[in-house]
Amino acid sequence: MTLSRRHLLRGAGGFALALPILPSLRPRSAKAAASVHPPRFVAYTTDHGGVWSEFMFPDDASLTEQMTYAGHTIRRGDLVRGEDGAQAWVSPVLRGGTAQLTEALAGKLNVLRGLDLPFYMGHHTGGQLGNYAANDGGGEDGQTLYGSPMPTIDQVLAWSSAFYSDLSTIRERSLVAGPYHSWGWSSPSTASGSITALPWEYSSLALFNRIFVPDEDETTPRPPVADRVLQAYQSLRQSDRRLSSADRRRLDEHMERIDELQRKLAVSADCGDVPPATEDSAPIANGSSFAYDPAAQVRYWQLYNEVVAAAFVCGTSRVAAFHARESFSDYQGDWHQDVAHQAHFPDGARQNILAEAHRRFFDEVFLDLCQRLDIPEGDDDSTILDNTLAMWSQESGNVTHESISQVVVTAGSAAGCLRTGQYVDYHNRQGSPITFTDGLDQVTRPGLLYNQLLGTVLQAMGLPNEAFQTDPRGGYGALFVTPMRAGHYPSAVLDAMGQWLPWLQA
Amino acid sequence: MSRSRPALVPLLCAVTALALAGCRGRGGGDASEDDDDDAPPADLDELQCDPTVTVPAVALRRLSRRQLQRTVADLVAGSMGAQAQAVQDEIGWALEAWPEDLPTNAPGRKRGGFRRLDQAVHQAHIDAANALGVELGRAMTATDDRVTALMGSCATDDDASNDEACVVDFIESFGRRALRRPLTDAEVAFYIEVFVGETITSLDPSAVGDVIAVMVASPQLQYFVEHGADPVDGVADTYWLSDYELASRLSYHFWQTMPDEELLAAAERGELTTDAGWQAQVQRVFADPRTRQSLRDFFREMWWLDGVAPLDARVGTPVFDAFRGDFEPGPDTTAHAVDEVLDMALFYALDTDGTFDDILLSNRSFAKTDDIAQLYGVAPWDGVSEPPAFDDPQRVGLATRIALLASGSANTRPIMKGVFIREGLLCDDIPPPPDNAAANPPQLSAEQTTREVVEALTETEGTACATCHAPLINPMGFVTENYDALGRARTEQVLFDEEGREVGRKPISTQAVPLVDLVSEEVASGSADLAHMLADSGRPHVCLARQWVRFSLGRIEDDDTDACMIEDVAQRLLDGESLGEALRQIALRPEFRQRAFAEDGT
Repeated sequence: MTLSRRHLLRGAGGFALALPILPSLRPRSAKAAASVHPPRFVAYTTDHGGVWSEFMFPDDASLTEQMTYAGHTIRRGDLVRGEDGAQAWVSPVLRGGTAQLTEALAGKLNVLRGLDLPFYMGHHTGGQLGNYAANDGGGEDGQTLYGSPMPTIDQVLAWSSAFYSDLSTIRERSLVAGPYHSWGWSSPSTASGSITALPWEYSSLALFNRIFVPDEDETTPRPPVADRVLQAYQSLRQSDRRLSSADRRRLDEHMERIDELQRKLAVSADCGDVPPATEDSAPIANGSSFAYDPAAQVRYWQLYNEVVAAAFVCGTSRVAAFHARESFSDYQGDWHQDVAHQAHFPDGARQNILAEAHRRFFDEVFLDLCQRLDIPEGDDDSTILDNTLAMWSQESGNVTHESISQVVVTAGSAAGCLRTGQYVDYHNRQGSPITFTDGLDQVTRPGLLYNQLLGTVLQAMGLPNEAFQTDPRGGYGALFVTPMRAGHYPSAVLDAMGQWLPWLQA
Repeated sequence: MSRSRPALVPLLCAVTALALAGCRGRGGGDASEDDDDDAPPADLDELQCDPTVTVPAVALRRLSRRQLQRTVADLVAGSMGAQAQAVQDEIGWALEAWPEDLPTNAPGRKRGGFRRLDQAVHQAHIDAANALGVELGRAMTATDDRVTALMGSCATDDDASNDEACVVDFIESFGRRALRRPLTDAEVAFYIEVFVGETITSLDPSAVGDVIAVMVASPQLQYFVEHGADPVDGVADTYWLSDYELASRLSYHFWQTMPDEELLAAAERGELTTDAGWQAQVQRVFADPRTRQSLRDFFREMWWLDGVAPLDARVGTPVFDAFRGDFEPGPDTTAHAVDEVLDMALFYALDTDGTFDDILLSNRSFAKTDDIAQLYGVAPWDGVSEPPAFDDPQRVGLATRIALLASGSANTRPIMKGVFIREGLLCDDIPPPPDNAAANPPQLSAEQTTREVVEALTETEGTACATCHAPLINPMGFVTENYDALGRARTEQVLFDEEGREVGRKPISTQAVPLVDLVSEEVASGSADLAHMLADSGRPHVCLARQWVRFSLGRIEDDDTDACMIEDVAQRLLDGESLGEALRQIALRPEFRQRAFAEDGT
């Protein structure tokens, strides 16, 4: 069976109707860019990816502008929202209820196409945020990348004084949920040591309690014991008892963390009308049918959305990195082997299941996050979502295990820094097809580098290039082009990495 | 039984390198292009024990999550008497919130990692220690009854004149257990200061709670703080551990928790730094039931048992339902299958004087539950009497256990079975698959057996896949194809279409050349042959020794510095020493009682 875009549109809820151009989707002004509100960052990564381009991306007809960039033609256009009364969409997968995917909200989205990781990287966790070393080691590329671990950008932000210039209300520098998604230094304040996966939270309620500031307790507490604990560590560190230099480094790193704890304990914040959370995600995930209960999976992540919204309202955190590994499908079998690993089969049967699962994530998790954040902030007309960059990326591009043509969907303008309401296609339609997978109908062609996106995100969050770049040409993430793909990425593409991605800067 | 080392080993080393090197790279790379960096792990004869080499230590090793949780639980149990359970209940959330340890694998390996090797310290650990300490302090002093249980009646009587002595006594006694050694005068003074400044004028329960909180978060509880005592003659930068340091090392290794009173008392008497005293305590600690959990952790992680697929995931799907027939896996079936393997390991390691060969060649069921016993076709084991023997002559050894055969689907996974034996049992390094090899998983066929499907997919001559799969991976999995994807014995494979309709039956072939030693082309006719070939090769014994040393040292072993320990354990296993004794002996090695303090960080 060969699927068509129309097929999926029908399957998900009806025929495509008129597709009006969205109003007021012009670039935000410089005035907006000078927002008084601090930018926030929320990253969602889902497993697998592998949704074919015709289902994932908007219609090519919406690409109304083009220009030459980095040696090839790139394209953009305003996002075109369609609706049929019950459902609205900007692409077959990017669809939701008309009350959720409103015209206004669609105007705050961006859909980016043609961003490549120019190497093979299967089963990675953290790659979407810049740590390409966390992969399955398959292929020579995977082994090579083991040698270049890097902090993920959420942790770069979490420990950036440019991003967190004022920590007085920050209870948690970052919120992490989902396994092996967020990676950081063992000594983050000095950006040194080893790169390890940050612990992730299983309980949304526990996470909520870490960012929520209840009304002041009137009783006078005893001095925090953390001060005394620090003394105990200092005493050991300074003693003349025998320790190795590595022992002392460990103590130093531990004391850095106690400093951070002390800072957090001294935070003063006001959560206003935010009610305490009562529902917890952990029991949901422990349900016996959780693996094939998409409603439970959606609810699980909606509870984390609730935490993010509360943290942003309270001002107690500005960064979240979530890794949603669930299938968002009622498929009751081996999702990984039977669906994800077979979604590229030309008959399209598994692709249909996969695409529907991604649609559900977009509709019920990503849009849910957007809605929770799309509430007024301060006295201007901006919302928290406007002052946020929410980003949904996927483990693979349009073919499972393929890192070419990564799918990136964003919401919010990062406090006016980003132009929104766009479908931007950076891939080179005249470029030679590249794939690691034989027998595909899907044709992937090279575009710009994903490192450039990560650099753009960090710049949008207020970090200067020199604060994060590891390659002289800019961008973020280890720069490695596998030899068999080197010819697809001319120097002009690599040299562009330090720039904002075209059409994104407001 | 004493076994001499395999005669082929000297030849093996050279050929091993070639064999494994030949199955690597994208596009069927040339074996001759490989270099020594990709050589397989050394077998026994490649190890060169040099007792003068400095054995690196893990820097300021922290307690694992399990160790931390048990320590706190034991502290509460040993301090609170009848009030302990109530305190445990109240602090449960704080213990559960402790960050998980991540399985830490050998370089290039994706499975088989030990969680106690995870030494990362994150902000979450510091936050959790603070929260746990504060909560524990609050809970232990929440009522007069608890304060009395913790400190004695001096803390709650009306006599203020005994308060100072009461507090000092508490700091010294509780601190001795929490910090696992007597506190120094300076430390006592420090904790008095924590209590309420420099002078004790009243006994405030919240101040007692603060003392508890600080102790819980202190480096002496959170880490293994080791300073060493006397230098080790002839080994650079290396010192013998002190009595109390030895007490902690021993108890945490075998019990995953703090030393008990007897161990602390032995340390106080200076007995642990004597050979006789140490041996006596090693014997006692190893024989204690608390050792069981530690060994369960070891075997569970070494044999990848956390990765056993959920066996009930596909109940309700047409093909799986047709395949499973009357047997319906439940939500606990996977855990039962894992328990069966672990019960087997402990039966031979602790409950009897079994050997590692007994595990490799066991033909008995350790299934205590009906579901696993039914799959085996035996009666459930009562856990006390002699485990029932299998009627099936092919059901021999570890590789024929349900947990290691069942796939959670209707089709077996010969490739993964082969990878487990290569990496998990033999410690061979298999090069990574080519880019995107996983894009074409084996499919259940209506015309072919799983073996035939796998052969067609991965053994086509001249392909990159064939260089690894044909000689090294697939045969190890093919020899157990006489068991289906639930681990049930079979002689033929029932073939289904996608709707679960039976469309044919084909005979099973288990004959293969497993290349256990990477040299001998001896044919295995089935799983029993494979089990004997594995046992006879001695290679699983060396592999087990490696992993036991890894688990014991808390780091990836190094052939240059850890050869003496690996060789010792391996030789004991090869000589037919009881498995328990071979494992216990690690604590009698001098390296176990020493610590390096080199300035380069080791």
